[in-house]
Amino acid sequence: MATPVPVLRLPKGPDPNSRGFDPNSPRYIALCRTSIPTSAAAESDPQQLQEEQHARSVLRERFLRCLLAMSNKKVRFHMHEKVNVEATFGASDIDVLNFQVSDLHTPIGVQKEALIRSQDVISFTFDV
Amino acid sequence: MQCGWLHSGPQLWLRCVHRQVRVTAGKQREEHRGWLLTVDPVSHSVALVSFGEDGASVRVVLGHAVEHVEVLQEPDPDTEERLRSLLPPPETGGPDPGERRRRRSGVRRWLQQNRVPVEEDGNELRVARVLTIRAPYRPDDCSSANQIILDRVQRLLRVQPDPVPDSDPVLETSPAPETAPGLDGPIPSGH
Repeated sequence: MATPVPVLRLPKGPDPNSRGFDPNSPRYIALCRTSIPTSAAAESDPQQLQEEQHARSVLRERFLRCLLAMSNKKVRFHMHEKVNVEATFGASDIDVLNFQVSDLHTPIGVQKEALIRSQDVISFTFDV
Repeated sequence: MQCGWLHSGPQLWLRCVHRQVRVTAGKQREEHRGWLLTVDPVSHSVALVSFGEDGASVRVVLGHAVEHVEVLQEPDPDTEERLRSLLPPPETGGPDPGERRRRRSGVRRWLQQNRVPVEEDGNELRVARVLTIRAPYRPDDCSSANQIILDRVQRLLRVQPDPVPDSDPVLETSPAPETAPGLDGPIPSGH
């Protein structure tokens, strides 16, 4: 099971011109339609808006730290149809749409580098 | 809290952080229990932590798979303490002002020795007007829109020798020349 599998086709890289959240990028619109907009209450009240934005940034920062804690650690991905695979976590993209991993253990061998789509993953676990 | 949880705002999620929750995920409706670490506002992913004998394990349930979230209980003080130490908040401020000033001068002198145009701007250092270094002036404290300069300055900071105790008074030294021929690599500072 440890024979490395050669990469057949490299995935397309990220758009080199984008930076930060771009809610108008076609990829984001196609894949992330469920992104939460500002709530109606906050739209009318600037104080509420500020609080909501503060909450968002605190939550997002905690999440990013969580991802940082995961880098280069062994992570188990639980996917659909009870498929569980283990890999070494590399990075996530900004919209949490793809995960870059190394040494992905699959039933057909070990993939040296792989991109996992987040829609295929139900949850993932790692030990701190 | 019921299914409307997903659609309620970040303020509610922030209030639920550190509480124990039960998340139902996926078509098989698997249940996961844990202490809520955070909810990502972009992808709605829920990060839970559970403590075992060997330490903590974190489970992140992706937003698209979350079916239902229920808050179970508040944490006891011990658990609260453990949760707080898991994700440390960012360092604020840093060392005291004297220490900061010494570090800043040390870093400024190192950069100037390497022919990098740098100026002090309050508590920050500004390089070639495009890069800013905040306290405490480590490679990770640099920010710039220009990736090449960022990379070069970070590399320089990484190989900076330990700063010598600041024996010179803080004087306004003449600014380094505008053109920066020396953003190619460090010059050894063994005088």
